[in-house]
Amino acid sequence: MFKKLDAYLEEISHFLSGREEREEILSEIRSHILEKAEQESGQVTEASLDRVIAAYGLARRVAEKYLDGRPIIAPAYKRYLFRYTTLLFSVHFLMTVVAVLFKRNFIMFPFIYMPRLGVIEAILYLPTAFLTDLGIVALVLYLITQSGKDIKLPWPKFAVDLDEMKPRAQSALLSRIATLIGMTVMLALTSFAAYLYAKFQTIFFVSFNFTNPRPLLMPEAGRQISLIVIAMFAAGALSLFVKLFTSSRWVDVVSNGVSLVLIGLLLRQPFDNPFAVSVPAGLLAKIKLGLTSLLLFIAVMVTIELIKNLILLGRKKLAK
Amino acid sequence: MNPEIANFETEMNRGFLQILVLALLENQMYGYSMVRTIRDLGYEVEENTLYPLLRRLEKNGWVKSKWDVSEERPRKFYAITDAGRGLRSELLGIWRKQNEILRNLMKEKTHV
Repeated sequence: MFKKLDAYLEEISHFLSGREEREEILSEIRSHILEKAEQESGQVTEASLDRVIAAYGLARRVAEKYLDGRPIIAPAYKRYLFRYTTLLFSVHFLMTVVAVLFKRNFIMFPFIYMPRLGVIEAILYLPTAFLTDLGIVALVLYLITQSGKDIKLPWPKFAVDLDEMKPRAQSALLSRIATLIGMTVMLALTSFAAYLYAKFQTIFFVSFNFTNPRPLLMPEAGRQISLIVIAMFAAGALSLFVKLFTSSRWVDVVSNGVSLVLIGLLLRQPFDNPFAVSVPAGLLAKIKLGLTSLLLFIAVMVTIELIKNLILLGRKKLAK
Repeated sequence: MNPEIANFETEMNRGFLQILVLALLENQMYGYSMVRTIRDLGYEVEENTLYPLLRRLEKNGWVKSKWDVSEERPRKFYAITDAGRGLRSELLGIWRKQNEILRNLMKEKTHV
């Protein structure tokens, strides 16, 4: 009968879907609007209804006042969303690294299925894993919130320090000078390594003179490993350069991510014996084990740094 | 009005409106008549706030409602229950106590 009123009520009804008293609510609003339009204008017309409806408010806002307003995740648990997601994702991340290194798939039923992955597949897989982890943690916190119980969630005390939003202690000027020096050193290193690579296709030598250098690695291994190491130097220099202009932790996160990818590439080098000089078999195995352990150690340290930066970023977002 | 003061006013109104509605419903009334009466008393209430409040009070058993369909336009009438009277008395007690604390505090400040 009154198209605008019907459309308005229909819109409110849409936002109230699922509530058993919806029809009753709508009847009451209809009765109120019609009566007010008649009282204020003498008769109910589309124009008078328009005014009354406008005064009554937006359909979504009206509907929201009937909803109980219980949050999806209680404010006290919100910070756990990021804490637990970071924790779960770091486990996922480490398992991904292990799956790539040992070229195996494994299952921790019913929590994790880790397929056999290459480096590129792992990089593509990790964002999906992160979203899954976020979803699982959100679901658990949602269920806890809806249960209405006062549950104290565990979190190690030392980790609370990571939550604190402490400003960086160093003065801005000192920090800039340190970054500038670091960037200059890294840039010099990158340039020198790139120069050596352009001239000799490797940056690793047993003995070095410019007329007749003796390479440490076989040509193919020398080329590939040198390129990865030069990329690491360049990434370091670039990240320090960007830090001259911004103190955003995202720079550290990206830098950590790039470092991990490059370490992964180094670990994946398929050479049985990359050395151009003769090395006894027993010693070769020890050198390989030592280098792999060193790279894994660096990867773990970078991962810890990455997780720390992600936690601090997440806390900053929550604080806002 | 300053938006920050408006926010405070909204917070303060929430409790006051409940007492006001419980006081008004000693005689049965329907929504629109309540809006007008409250306005005549010199106070403003948003219509879209009043109805959800009435629903919450009814859900908790503090008011009861009944549709009157004898007129051309059906109207839903509300009236206070005994439980509602008990609640109103408690709320008025709290309100009086708060008033007294503030009055005494302001008196002390004036003497200083």
